[in-house]
Amino acid sequence: MNKLKALLKAREMNSFLFLVALFAIVSIINPEFASVTNISACFNSSVVYILIAVGMAFAILVGEIDVSVGSTLGFVATVVGSMLRDGVNWGVAFTVGILIGAAVGLLNGWGVAVMGIPSLIFTLGVNGVLRGAMYVYSNGAWVENLPKEFKNFSSVTVFGELTVYFICCLLLVLVVHLLLTRTRRGRYFTAVGDNASGATLVGISAVKTKIVAYVICGVMAAVAGIVFCSRIGFVTSISGNGYEMKAVAACVLGGISLSGGVGSVVGAAIGAVIMSSISYLLVFMGFSSNYDNAITGIILIAIVVIDALLQHRSAVRMRHERLLNRTAGTAEGGDAK
Amino acid sequence: MKTNQIRTLRGKANGWNLFLVCVLVMEFAVFGIANPKFLRLPLLLSSVNDFIAICLISLFVTFVMITGGIDIQAGAIVGLTSIIIGVAWQDFGFNIWGAVALAVVAAALCGALSGFFIAYCRVQAMVVTLGGSFLYAGLALLVSTLSSTESYQGISGFPDSFKAMTKFKLFGVIPSQLIIFVVMVIVAYLLLHKSKYGRRVFLVGVNPQAAEFSGINSRLVVMSTYILSAISAAIAGIVLTSYLGTAKSDLGSTLTMNIITACVLGGTLSTGGKGNVLGTALASLIIGLMRFGMPLCFKVGTQYLDIPVGVLLILVVVGRAVMEKPQTAVILANLKKKIRPASKAAQ
Repeated sequence: MNKLKALLKAREMNSFLFLVALFAIVSIINPEFASVTNISACFNSSVVYILIAVGMAFAILVGEIDVSVGSTLGFVATVVGSMLRDGVNWGVAFTVGILIGAAVGLLNGWGVAVMGIPSLIFTLGVNGVLRGAMYVYSNGAWVENLPKEFKNFSSVTVFGELTVYFICCLLLVLVVHLLLTRTRRGRYFTAVGDNASGATLVGISAVKTKIVAYVICGVMAAVAGIVFCSRIGFVTSISGNGYEMKAVAACVLGGISLSGGVGSVVGAAIGAVIMSSISYLLVFMGFSSNYDNAITGIILIAIVVIDALLQHRSAVRMRHERLLNRTAGTAEGGDAK
Repeated sequence: MKTNQIRTLRGKANGWNLFLVCVLVMEFAVFGIANPKFLRLPLLLSSVNDFIAICLISLFVTFVMITGGIDIQAGAIVGLTSIIIGVAWQDFGFNIWGAVALAVVAAALCGALSGFFIAYCRVQAMVVTLGGSFLYAGLALLVSTLSSTESYQGISGFPDSFKAMTKFKLFGVIPSQLIIFVVMVIVAYLLLHKSKYGRRVFLVGVNPQAAEFSGINSRLVVMSTYILSAISAAIAGIVLTSYLGTAKSDLGSTLTMNIITACVLGGTLSTGGKGNVLGTALASLIIGLMRFGMPLCFKVGTQYLDIPVGVLLILVVVGRAVMEKPQTAVILANLKKKIRPASKAAQ
């Protein structure tokens, strides 16, 4: 168990070091970057990604995936944005938004956990439906003229140049991380993701845990949608497109294994910062932002390939050791971390 | 026993295909009644242009899904081929057919790269093709910056011989895209259902270890399916570029869900081992006609078309899951019992 913990720690540490190295390299190439303003800007602009990646981390930790978060974000942003524009009470609007997120999560959880449908396919379908629903709701028009106070709230800063949003986000990540690692129910998620049938045998309901994970994922996407509204100030009919892929990429960058059970929300948050900083950093390195997607793709593929090779090697080594020890058991357990 | 099982499996596949044909006929009926224009032959046949990419690519993504993988990078490769053709022809002075060949080779390499990581490095297909979709879309954008034309405009002014490829009509009505589609269906069918290679694809999907033990190079088979799907995406890119007359880097960026829906609706099991080309072909036509008929007959905006496709995808997978649950089998058996005595009593 201790070994496992150390490994988990190492995984996040790697992503964190990668982020630091990224900042350091850019600062060396272009000294202008090394200022509080620029680095804070990197963090501030990552809030939406962090929120959505933390939600996604839950879905991936239980061994599934949720590609409907992008359109959940867009749909909630559209609904909440238009409610705020029409002068609805903020509390009511936010509650409606979060309820929508929870409902989407419940639907996904039902389809994946109860009906046993492959998660990518089910959530891909939900993604399409929600994106369409977004057009229906907004009639394809932009949601603009949001209340000024709501928009201005996104630029309120504390601690130097970090925004309130980022600080709240940071606290949220820490709290969620503690809940996940220090409480019984929190550990259910990794247990189910690591070995669903094993978890069921010791009395953890895999179905319930997966549903809860999806609801959390939906709610986080909804919160991200609200923050998106406030930060960007308007919602177009394609807002949120592609965010699901960026969230998955952030989780992978943060050291979460897509086979489930390995990783943490802190890693997801760090991955999200890396993801959202890349385009910003490219500008400072003198590249056009056209390189954004290509570099994201290369980093993503490189990390998963290296990770898979390392895991395969350790699995082979463990199998070898087991053989030497002549412990009885089938070779089926070869995927152990 | 074994042959019996295979026979029932085949029977099931045929039953499903029959169902798909019924859906297709129903679509014709509903859309035809709602708007008789829908049944005008030239219009109907030319509608193929709008969804030819879905049809072509899903045929070969079926191969990938049979091996237990998934391919979400095909849409990005469509854009990449399109822009490579444009840039190689306009800015590097290639002959147009040379540019086309270059694009196909580039797409095959992209597919091979992703396939290599999936097959030989054992990374989940979902992540690699996700990374691939970023990478190849990014590459497409970079290639477009090599051109003297602004990327959002797209490169146009292709020679007539290239454009004629998709303007040609057999007997004056059947567009060449339809012919390309039929040819591709036949090629895919022969490859998957009538060749040694196809049997290997199935075996790798059903049981990779057994495949490996029986002397099949399962990794090579897995990798080859990604190359095939990339080449089909390249062909889709060529057809679209030729038809539209412009090369753009973001062609095909919205295809992913439609492709997966076509495969799943066609009876392909996303966990691998099951699927058939005819089912996918029928399903892609169902989706395509829906995308064509809905705006024409019910004034549904094209932006809304994600809803019916998404609903269709969810309905199919949920329906299939319900049918596979043991409880449903019991309920169905009870229903049969109830109906039979009733019908006997009626006699």
